[in-house]
Amino acid sequence: MSEGSTYTEAELIARCVKGDRVAQRMLYERYSSVMYPVCVRYLGREDAKDVLQEGFLTVFEKIGTYKGEGSFEGWMRKIFVNASLMQIRKSDALRHAEDIDETPESGGSLDYGVLEQISSREIMDQVATLPQGLRSVFNLFVLDGYSHSEVGAMLGITEQSSRSQVSRARSLLQEKIKKLYERKK
Amino acid sequence: MNERSDFDELLRSRLEGMSEPAPDVWEGIVKGLDRHRRAVIFRRFSVGVAAAAAGLAIAWLVFRGPQTGEQLQVPVQTAQHVDVTTPGPVTDETPEIAPIAEQVAAFTRNQSVARAEKVDKPSTPATAVPVSDQTGEPVEPKTEPQPSVATEPAANPAETPSVEPNNPVETQPQLTEDDLPDGFWDGDDTDTRKTHTSQLTIFSNLTAVASENDLIYKASPSHASSQTGKGQATSSVEPLSGSPKFFVPLSAGVQVAVPLTERLLVASGLRYTYLVSQYDMLVNKEKFEGAYNQLHYLGIPLELSYRFVQTHGFGLYASVGGAAEKCIAQRYVYGSNTLREKVGGLQWSAQAGLGAEYWFAQRAGIYFDPSLVYYFDNSQPLSIRTQQPLQARFEVGLRFKL
Repeated sequence: MSEGSTYTEAELIARCVKGDRVAQRMLYERYSSVMYPVCVRYLGREDAKDVLQEGFLTVFEKIGTYKGEGSFEGWMRKIFVNASLMQIRKSDALRHAEDIDETPESGGSLDYGVLEQISSREIMDQVATLPQGLRSVFNLFVLDGYSHSEVGAMLGITEQSSRSQVSRARSLLQEKIKKLYERKK
Repeated sequence: MNERSDFDELLRSRLEGMSEPAPDVWEGIVKGLDRHRRAVIFRRFSVGVAAAAAGLAIAWLVFRGPQTGEQLQVPVQTAQHVDVTTPGPVTDETPEIAPIAEQVAAFTRNQSVARAEKVDKPSTPATAVPVSDQTGEPVEPKTEPQPSVATEPAANPAETPSVEPNNPVETQPQLTEDDLPDGFWDGDDTDTRKTHTSQLTIFSNLTAVASENDLIYKASPSHASSQTGKGQATSSVEPLSGSPKFFVPLSAGVQVAVPLTERLLVASGLRYTYLVSQYDMLVNKEKFEGAYNQLHYLGIPLELSYRFVQTHGFGLYASVGGAAEKCIAQRYVYGSNTLREKVGGLQWSAQAGLGAEYWFAQRAGIYFDPSLVYYFDNSQPLSIRTQQPLQARFEVGLRFKL
């Protein structure tokens, strides 16, 4: 294990393509702490562990298809987002997406300065407590940068539905963060 | 229109690039990768064996020559056709006839393999073509209606051997079994010669191991280094105590079986075997975890089999034998490096088993051959064979009668 600790990302990828177990381990150690929060945002801590494993298996099996276009971390992130959505579909959570529309939109406005008073981990946990449908849409649009049309295609909903759900999720999350801040005060 | 609010941007900046210690799932990833690797190896092996079997089968069909059952029926049909009771004039439609002995001789000159489709053996001796008393001309033979296809004239007159029409055959010799070329099936199921045919076998097999996890045998830690072959004494690689994993051995090969008696056959050929192990090892004093060892063996098996059931294309047999195998290549894969080392000595083994075969065509059959194999301690590198000397082997393959 002495060699390899100084591998560049390109070298690491090239070795992973060849199935080098040492390089795979190094890649896992380098990125698992970054990809885990992605899974937690979509699934909560309980299911995130399984998807983290599935995601890395997919990464190692598909790594030969990475052509160096765009950042490698971005490429990996897409894989973990897709793995999370697959898991959500398996659990049939999106079937209840229509219920989301019934979620009342909160009128509570948040002083954005509050966000500076709570940790990133706490924010992430608040995102993870959103209802499943809202959480998926909010994660895809707000945090992972997909457009409404892309979100609609990925989740099988209309663009308009994506817009309204993001809006509801935003309001709900602001309310949750506000409550959390008040509890901490 | 910018649909992303300030809140979105602020939230994103807080969570983007966030990292958090992840639960350790590396072991599960390794298991998944091993499963995937095994699946790939097995798929490639299966495709290779299937391609080889298909290639050999096609080659056999192409190069066996133009011999078919229909062609062989010609002389026999003709002999029956001229077995007449009423003399009559010869007409243009009368098939031209050659002496059967000539036809058989011509056939044996042109055919490398002489086993026909089952045809009716002539029930009566071939007799002379009837000749008119008045004119001395050959007369049209009157035939009894014959239900079987063997009594019909050859479909293609061009295939019918011809003779000079003005040179009618006086007598046709009776066709007996002794007149037939060696290997010519006279249609008699009790003829023991049909079981005295040499066979070509193309096989592949899987060897069962005490499996804990799919197709992997995981050894207990205490066995790991103690079973290292003595052949590794001078090696720069040293297996470490741990839990080595052994992937299922894969074999493929060809054998030729020669009958000694009606039921007893001796077979030998070539067998290739691929063994993969994974264990922690020291390479030039440096430790590598989960490194791979790949062994390629080429061996010569020798088997004696006794067929105790042979009926309607189906056979059951028992076999005993052994094999001597030479490791022709050994490769260690650790990290991103590979290391090749020679392996001395031979791996000897003994085996006994039962088998079943089914001949789905006249000269082609399939078989399934489960057996127990014992690998002797011959100072070979650490592998499933040194770890678990007694193994169950399941062999399947194709057989062709030569």
